[in-house]
Amino acid sequence: MEKLIEVLKLGIYQTFILKDNYQYFVRGVGITLQVTLFSLIFGLILGVLVAIIRSAHDQQPENRRNPVLGFFNVLAKIYLTVIRGTPTMVQLLIMWFVIWAGTRSSEANLIRCAVLTFGINSGAYVAEIVRSGIMSIDKGQMEAGRSVGLSYAQAMRFVVIPQAFKNVLPALGNEMITLLKETSIVTVIGLKDLTKGAMIIQGNTYQALVPFFAIAIIYLVMVLLLTWVMGKVERRLRESDLR
Amino acid sequence: MIYVNDLCKQFGDNKVLQNITEHIKPGEKVVVIGPSGSGKSTFLRCLNLLEQPTSGSITFDGQEITAPRTDINKVRQHMGMVFQHFNLFANLTVKQNITLAPIRLKLMTKEEADAEAMRLLNRVNLADKADAYPAQLSGGQKQRIAIVRALAMKPKVMLFDEPTSALDPEMVGEVLEVMKELAEDGMTMVVVTHEMGFAREVATRVLFMDGGGIIEQGTPEEVFTNPKEARTKDFLSKVL
Repeated sequence: MEKLIEVLKLGIYQTFILKDNYQYFVRGVGITLQVTLFSLIFGLILGVLVAIIRSAHDQQPENRRNPVLGFFNVLAKIYLTVIRGTPTMVQLLIMWFVIWAGTRSSEANLIRCAVLTFGINSGAYVAEIVRSGIMSIDKGQMEAGRSVGLSYAQAMRFVVIPQAFKNVLPALGNEMITLLKETSIVTVIGLKDLTKGAMIIQGNTYQALVPFFAIAIIYLVMVLLLTWVMGKVERRLRESDLR
Repeated sequence: MIYVNDLCKQFGDNKVLQNITEHIKPGEKVVVIGPSGSGKSTFLRCLNLLEQPTSGSITFDGQEITAPRTDINKVRQHMGMVFQHFNLFANLTVKQNITLAPIRLKLMTKEEADAEAMRLLNRVNLADKADAYPAQLSGGQKQRIAIVRALAMKPKVMLFDEPTSALDPEMVGEVLEVMKELAEDGMTMVVVTHEMGFAREVATRVLFMDGGGIIEQGTPEEVFTNPKEARTKDFLSKVL
C-alpha cells in the first residue's frame, strides 16, 4: 500500500509539477475546447443547411420538382454518404496531409484544419438529426404557416425549425459529446490538444497511469458541463409544452 | 369571387376530384357535405392551393391562381383557412400565433398587430389566454384561436375544413357560434362539415359531393328537405 502511494506521488509530481508539465493540460484543454466549439458552430450551420435542402426537396409534390433543389439534394446525399461512410481520422489525415499539404504546420493552421474537418464531419450527423426533427413535425404546422401567407422559408424558420430543434436537442447534445471526445484524434496531425499533451508527458517521463487518468477525468468533467448546459437549454425550450 | 373551372385532382391513379366547375360569389356561405372520401376536403384545399390541382383552373378575385407565375403567398393572405386539427403553432403563444404573419409579412407593426390580436381575442372571449401556449388550451379554445389567427389577416374569404370534427361534443357549440357571427358579419365562407344543423341554419347554398364530383346543390331547404338525387337521399338518411 505504501509502495503504491509512493508510486502515485512520483507520478503526480512528474506529470504535473516537473518542468511545469501542467501547462500541457492547460493549453491542451484550451485547444480541445477551441476545436470543439468552432467545429460545433460550423457543423451546426452546415447541418441545418443540408437538412433544410434535403427536407425541402422531399416535401415537394412529385410532379413539381425544382431542378436546382434536385441538384443540391444530390450534392447533399453524396456529402452525407462519403462523410458518414469514412472514418473521421482518415478524413483528418486527408485534409491535413493531402488537401492542405505544404501548409506551414503552425498551431493556428492545425486548428483551422481540425475545425474544418470536424465541422464538415459533424455537419453530416447534425444534418440527419435535424432532418429527423423536421420530419417529426406535423405537416399541419407547415400548412397552417403557408395558409396565412408565409413563404416556405418563413414557415420553416418561424414555425417548423424551432419545434424541430427542440425535439432533437437530446440527440444534438449526444452529437456534441461525441464531437468533444472525438477531437482527441487531432493528435495524428500533431496538434497539441489535451490527449497529445498527456502523450508528450508520457514520452518524457515514462509515466502513463497518472497523465492518462488525468485527461480521462478532464474529458469527463467537460462532458458533464456540456450535459448540464444542454439540460438547461432543454428546460428553457420546453416552456411551451407546459400544461 | 372564386371561379373553379374543370378542376381535377389525382393522387397517383386515384381520381379524387373530377371536372368540378363552380362559382362562389362574394358574401355566400357555401357548405360542402358528403360522405368521407368524397373529395370535399381536397376540393377545399385546392381553393388555396394547399393541394396542387392536376388540371383545371381557379380564379380568385380576378386573378388566375393556378397560373404558373402567381405569387401564391400573396393570394393566401386574402384566404383564411381553418383546419380540422387546429394546427396552431405549438412553439408560439396565442398572441404570437395571431400576430406572426401580419408582422412578418410587414402588414402591421408589432403594436398594431398586438392591438388587433387583443381585439379579436376579446371578440371570442379568450383575451385572458393571450400569453398561453396552445398545449394549455382545450380543443374548442384552440379552434376559436385558429379562426382568429386567420381573421387577423383580414381575409376576403374563409375556408373551413371540418372545423368541429376533432372536438369533444360539448365544445362544438362554441366554435359554431363564432362561425355564425362571422357569417352574420357578411364574410364569404366555404365550409366542409358534418354539422347538418349548421348547414341548415347558416348556409346560403349547400353542395353535396360524392365520388369526386358535385352531385347536387341548392339552398339548404332544397337539399335537405327535397333532395333529388338518390345518392343525396341515401347520404342524408344516414346522417339526419
